[in-house]
Amino acid sequence: MRRLWQALLAGGVALAFGAAGVCFYQWRSAEAPPDPVETGRRVLAASLLGVDGKVQPFEQWRGRVLVVNFWATWCAPCRDEIPGFIQFQERFRTDGVQFVGVAIDQKERVIPYAREMGINYPLVVGGMETMEFARQLGDRATVLPFTLILDRSGRVRTAQVGILMPEKLESLIKPLL
Amino acid sequence: MPRLISILTLLFSICAGAVAQDLLEPEKAFQFSARLLDAGQVEVHYAIAPGYYLYREKFKFAADPPAVSIDATQLPPGKVKKDEFFGEVQIYRGEQRFVLPVKGLTAQAPHFTLNVVSQGCADLGVCYPPQEQKAELTLAAFSPAGTATPATPFLSTAPAARAPNPQSEDAVIAGLFKGGFWVLLASFFGFGLLLALTPCVFPMIPILSGILVPHGAHLTHVRGFVLSLVYVLGMAITYALAGIAAGLLGTVLSAALQNVWVLSGFAAIFVLLALSMFGLYDLQLPTALQSKLAATSNKLHGGHFVSVFFMGVLSALIVGPCVAAPLAGALLYISQSGDGVLGGAALFAMALGMGAPLLAVGASAGTLLPKAGAWMETVKRFFGVVLLGVAIYLVSPLLPVAAHMLAWAALLIVSAIYLHALDPLPPNASGVRKLFKGIGVIGLLAGAALLAGALSGGRDILQPLSGLRSAAATVDRAPVFQRIDSPARLDDAIRAAAGKPVMLDFYADWCVSCKEMERYTFVDDAVRAKMAGLVALQADVTQNLDDHKALLKRFNLFGPPGIVFFDRQGNQINNLRVVGFQAADKFAATLDLALR
Repeated sequence: MRRLWQALLAGGVALAFGAAGVCFYQWRSAEAPPDPVETGRRVLAASLLGVDGKVQPFEQWRGRVLVVNFWATWCAPCRDEIPGFIQFQERFRTDGVQFVGVAIDQKERVIPYAREMGINYPLVVGGMETMEFARQLGDRATVLPFTLILDRSGRVRTAQVGILMPEKLESLIKPLL
Repeated sequence: MPRLISILTLLFSICAGAVAQDLLEPEKAFQFSARLLDAGQVEVHYAIAPGYYLYREKFKFAADPPAVSIDATQLPPGKVKKDEFFGEVQIYRGEQRFVLPVKGLTAQAPHFTLNVVSQGCADLGVCYPPQEQKAELTLAAFSPAGTATPATPFLSTAPAARAPNPQSEDAVIAGLFKGGFWVLLASFFGFGLLLALTPCVFPMIPILSGILVPHGAHLTHVRGFVLSLVYVLGMAITYALAGIAAGLLGTVLSAALQNVWVLSGFAAIFVLLALSMFGLYDLQLPTALQSKLAATSNKLHGGHFVSVFFMGVLSALIVGPCVAAPLAGALLYISQSGDGVLGGAALFAMALGMGAPLLAVGASAGTLLPKAGAWMETVKRFFGVVLLGVAIYLVSPLLPVAAHMLAWAALLIVSAIYLHALDPLPPNASGVRKLFKGIGVIGLLAGAALLAGALSGGRDILQPLSGLRSAAATVDRAPVFQRIDSPARLDDAIRAAAGKPVMLDFYADWCVSCKEMERYTFVDDAVRAKMAGLVALQADVTQNLDDHKALLKRFNLFGPPGIVFFDRQGNQINNLRVVGFQAADKFAATLDLALR
């Protein structure tokens, strides 16, 4: 009987070890998202080079409902959501909604693509530094697409990794208008 | 006890909930390694996590120095994926090995840096930006192309390795066999023999001795051989089943070996085994079951054969995770054949090879087995430590490096204490005790180094204290920059430089390559010496105030990183600027130009 208890105890300890390992892994992956106010401040403090070659400070969009979309022409899922963004920009322009595309890409590829798709919102480009910036804003795995929605006060209300479907986008934007 | 179980179940279910939405960081989703097979071939290996893939056409290979060239035209075909935007593209999933021809490596110039750019996505609908991965490769003691036998690299790494090294062993086995059925079987048998030399079979020895020893003096050579043969057959048939499954299932199996749960489960088994080695309990079937089994097997002619057979089956399951890396290579190879018969036969042969030394022990009627004694306990404890080490090794891909280092530190330090590292030696201590104490002290120091390293932010298990070194270096040795924060201050500083060249570095807290420059380049002795000859200014534009923007705009920079230079007259040197990270030697050359 004593032996059985010892075996059970050892089994429990081993199980706890395994569980702790898995939990620690999960817990680490599920790190708390960055503070929404601080993140918003950093977004609005950023300046990136526009596809037209001019520096675009994000400060210029303060006070609007700002949708910042990190994307790239080489990223198929990013291309998926862009027609929806174009439509929404058109529909909510007068309500003060501003989309901005941050392309982790080369200007030479972004310009023809933007023309072909008829992208009707400002596009800026950046390199791996900008990807690192996105990571700090909450894109933990540094993947694309990554989209931030800021309310008029500059606070981040949504940080979405992966595609934003039109229905979800609408439900996220409408309360902020 | 029921309460404990329900708590654990709850814990697991909480954890399981978080799994679904988790995206891997790129280094974990696409694990890269490379090695030189010989002077003419480099092998690039990617372990791509399940649910992730890499684009074949996005691969770029380059070598530095340029005298070395890589021929990347021979990438194997990938799986075809139909993409809405890009048409039909080829992608890679799971384990990928590319053997690429290399030219230009000589005995005089045996080093080069392999640069691989890859790009991939996850099935969840996100993509990773292009990743650049590097490997420093050196042509070591390998013979020239073509003459190196595949077994040589395996033999040279296996005995030294604490646990199987997945990069080398499974590559060998997958690359080994291109011949016919019998050649294949013979090769797998030989491969099993080699595996028997790794520490992986150690857990089997106490089990086998447990089978043989109770027979004591009555054990004949024939009976010993037959008993161990039955044991080995039990093991071999289990492996054969795995081989058949692999042949039929395809690559599913190798993906399973990377699963969080499977790895954690195996690690738990190893911890359990280790505890039994430490004498916390004896591993055996419950008495009721045991007596029933004994009764059954006594009715069968030949006595214990059934239970011995099942011991073999259990052993295969126990040893399985330890040989997982080479086994994965074997299973991967077999799964590509899609042939269940071939798979079963090959793994059966491999297990026979693994069991051959055990057969020798059995045929010797236990005389080759060490005689029992107090020292056996020591050996058992040693295996316990080895098993715990294997457990840490198994879960290491799942843990952050810091946790991994702390686990090793704990294992080393506790083992060292058991080796009496801190107890004084009696004056008439035996040589063995002195040796153990010496080993204990080494373990203690290594453990302490890991502990100190992990706690001070070091994240390199082979150089645990490197965190201390670079932290100290950035405090003591970083050149002093004069901070400026507006165009007016910049003009003042340039005037004040009075004939010295000026360097202006743009910095921000979020800028990674700025930090790399600080950590690796600015602390270099040659760089520091040269920087002493000029006035170093730094603009911290983290806050992006208007003055900061004005500064950036003046140099047409849209943000850090960026370094610009001014000549002795205070004019900007137009075609000399550094954007992004530059290593110390390159940056020193840039400084030379500025100082000219």
